[in-house]
Amino acid sequence: MIRLLTLLALLLPTVAFADGITIGDPWSPAAPPGARAHAAYMTVTNTGATPRALIGVRAEGYGMAHLHESRDNEGIATMVPVHQIEIAPGASIALAPGGFHIMLMMPRAPASETIALTLVFADGEEVAVRAVVRPHNAPS
Amino acid sequence: MRWILALATSLLCMPAMAQVQGVALDRPVALPAFVLSDQRGETFTQADLAERWTIIMFGFNSCPDVCPFTLGNLEHAIAETALRVRPDNVPQVVFVSVDPVRDHDTVTDYAEFFHPDFQGVTGARDQIDTLVEATDSFYRLLPPDATGYYEVQHSSAVSVIGPDGMLRAKLQPPFDAGLTAEFLARLQITYRRENTR
Repeated sequence: MIRLLTLLALLLPTVAFADGITIGDPWSPAAPPGARAHAAYMTVTNTGATPRALIGVRAEGYGMAHLHESRDNEGIATMVPVHQIEIAPGASIALAPGGFHIMLMMPRAPASETIALTLVFADGEEVAVRAVVRPHNAPS
Repeated sequence: MRWILALATSLLCMPAMAQVQGVALDRPVALPAFVLSDQRGETFTQADLAERWTIIMFGFNSCPDVCPFTLGNLEHAIAETALRVRPDNVPQVVFVSVDPVRDHDTVTDYAEFFHPDFQGVTGARDQIDTLVEATDSFYRLLPPDATGYYEVQHSSAVSVIGPDGMLRAKLQPPFDAGLTAEFLARLQITYRRENTR
């Protein structure tokens, strides 16, 4: 039983549940020294029956956090702010390197082991997520 | 029968061909003189390209997603390349920041974070532009927002320079480690053939 509780405690920081929303594997690659911005990634699944839209994010310990998308336009790496990511019932969206990501800006201190994030949805619901900071060479 | 087999084989190979990791230049381009330096003041010039393979990537330190992703992928690709080529043919990786105003004190630490042998350099605008133009690369500093923060667009491909100081190929995302290493090993074989005739 204790073992099961320990396992749950270990898993809890990486998985968040809310009404109809499941977050999988929230993580952030350790930021290089001197980086004024870095990123966090996860999957967001809509397990409910109605469409949902992710419209924003807040990050503890950062001056700003944005939803962003990296795009490769004919060989030019470009980033664009994203105002809304629609998630159909039963669908998942991936925030992953080279695509949608949470851009963390103006860190007040180097990130510790986890980063506290709050995802904001169009219906007003907020989901708290703890992203685990991983060394850059860790297998993802 | 033989052509059917050949067709079947080529069809089987197509998914692999669809993911092109690099393009060798038909006509290699000589690079002009330039002077850049790391955050400690050590210079990086045209002379540092001689007698070794070099991979040059343009980026900036405030890049949250693509630059760390590319440098991480290059680190894997170089490790794979080291399994395929002689130690002195393993390319040196040079990260050139096109954002010297913000990065001149951090660019070397930034690159070394991804691998202790990676070099990070930047320099005067005209010197950066010289290297950007010579490698047929691109960057643009976007107008700052209300907080003064600005975004930088830059080429996603990286340049491969031969031991003769000529631009010989471009590597493209997603920089798959195995395929990129294979491309670099083949590029080196072709280079040696052409230069021992």
